Amino acid sequence: MDGLLNLSNDLAAAVERAGRVAFGVNGRARLGSTGVHWRRGLVVTADHTVHVDDEVSLTRPDGRTVTARVAGRDPTIDVAVLRVDAPDVEVADVASSDTVRVGHIVLALGSGPRVSWGVVSAIGGGRRGLRSAATGDMLHLDLTLYPGFSGGPLVDVQGRVVGINTSGASRHLQVAIPAAAVDRVVDELERRGRIPRAYLGVSTQQVRLPEALRQQINLDQQTAVVVVEVQPGSPAAAAGLLVGDVVVSLGGIRITDPTDLRTALRPDRVGERTVASVLRGGEPRDVPVDVGERPRRADAR
Amino acid sequence: MMLDLAGLAEDLRRITVEVTDQPDQALGSGVLWPPGYVVTNAHVVRRPRVTLQLVDGRRLTGELLARDADADLALIRAPGAGMPVATLGDPDAARIGSLVVAVGHPRGVRAALTAGIIHAIGPIVHGGVSWIQADLRLAPGNSGGPLADAAGRVVGLNARVAGSLALAVPMSQVRRFVRAAGVA
Repeated sequence: MDGLLNLSNDLAAAVERAGRVAFGVNGRARLGSTGVHWRRGLVVTADHTVHVDDEVSLTRPDGRTVTARVAGRDPTIDVAVLRVDAPDVEVADVASSDTVRVGHIVLALGSGPRVSWGVVSAIGGGRRGLRSAATGDMLHLDLTLYPGFSGGPLVDVQGRVVGINTSGASRHLQVAIPAAAVDRVVDELERRGRIPRAYLGVSTQQVRLPEALRQQINLDQQTAVVVVEVQPGSPAAAAGLLVGDVVVSLGGIRITDPTDLRTALRPDRVGERTVASVLRGGEPRDVPVDVGERPRRADAR
Repeated sequence: MMLDLAGLAEDLRRITVEVTDQPDQALGSGVLWPPGYVVTNAHVVRRPRVTLQLVDGRRLTGELLARDADADLALIRAPGAGMPVATLGDPDAARIGSLVVAVGHPRGVRAALTAGIIHAIGPIVHGGVSWIQADLRLAPGNSGGPLADAAGRVVGLNARVAGSLALAVPMSQVRRFVRAAGVA
């Protein structure tokens, strides 16, 4: 039974290691969540668990309380980044995402630490609910995310952080935001000092694509979005997008519903020229568009 | 790497008994320990005489010796149960994240194995009693059965389910209970 004992010891060591970088996050009433000391002074957690806009109380791995500030959010992938002064707390060993494979044993941690185990059941994919293209291939998990686990680390058997757990997307679907997607958000924050919100300036609705049209232009997706409003002065208006245009992809990312469009508009796309593939009057055409930054309103969240 | 869960299951089945205290009553589980005795949950046995069935099919009549409903523990005298008996692990040395397995009779499925890890050790409500909390599937019929580590050492007696968490009474507490009953 040496194999079992070794695995058991490896799992326990991985929990100890990951537990040293896990913070408790008290960002909402009732149920706290978990965060990961991602880079020096920056704690990453699940955006949907941070209901405040300025100060958040955190519980350090050693149980002490410390105050953090919300440094930025990317609700499109459910990530919030908090700035904290805790130089003595270890920083996570973040694994490069391509080390994760379907079938790998993984552990999910909540602050405490509390822990659950399971396997990676799928990575990305094309079904509904999987925003794979935009988020860099969500990790789908066969494990239990217990209350308070949102925002906590998903770690491999060596204790390396491979993602951030979130139950925000669905009660039934256990997913983790892959480390690479979190890295992109944190990179943006470090580069600009804040996380911008990418913006086109359109309102859209889902439409079903007629079978004949799909075959004619060789599209494998069933649905897309139709533009129902173009805000004056917006990047979409400047690019010449029109009400009635059917957007099937943006920058090569398939758009099957308005959520796809929101997730495709990642913070790091701000200022980037991309291409919207649209159907106008049944004819496909590519419209170059410069992704803008959503104007900040006083009441914006 | 060889993962011998089957061997582990085999060992644990030998020290796990079926416990019933009246005919047609749902099965509970129990652990052969100390020699000549069975420990189980108090909620599994309410009568002075209980029927025990060993893995080899032998049936014995056990005598309820001590019962503590608050601790949810019961001690049954089982003369003739013989060997083997459980090897106990130290729950205080159990590490969060380490592998654990349970053997019992969930919903009447005899000697079923489930595997998981230790989720946390401590109370589930503020100021409550301490449990070994495991990320592991239990069902009615597992009550009183062993929760064991990867080496087959019994660290707890499975007692309850809280959501999808398994709760086991730490063996340190079981030892104290057995000692208080004047045995071992």
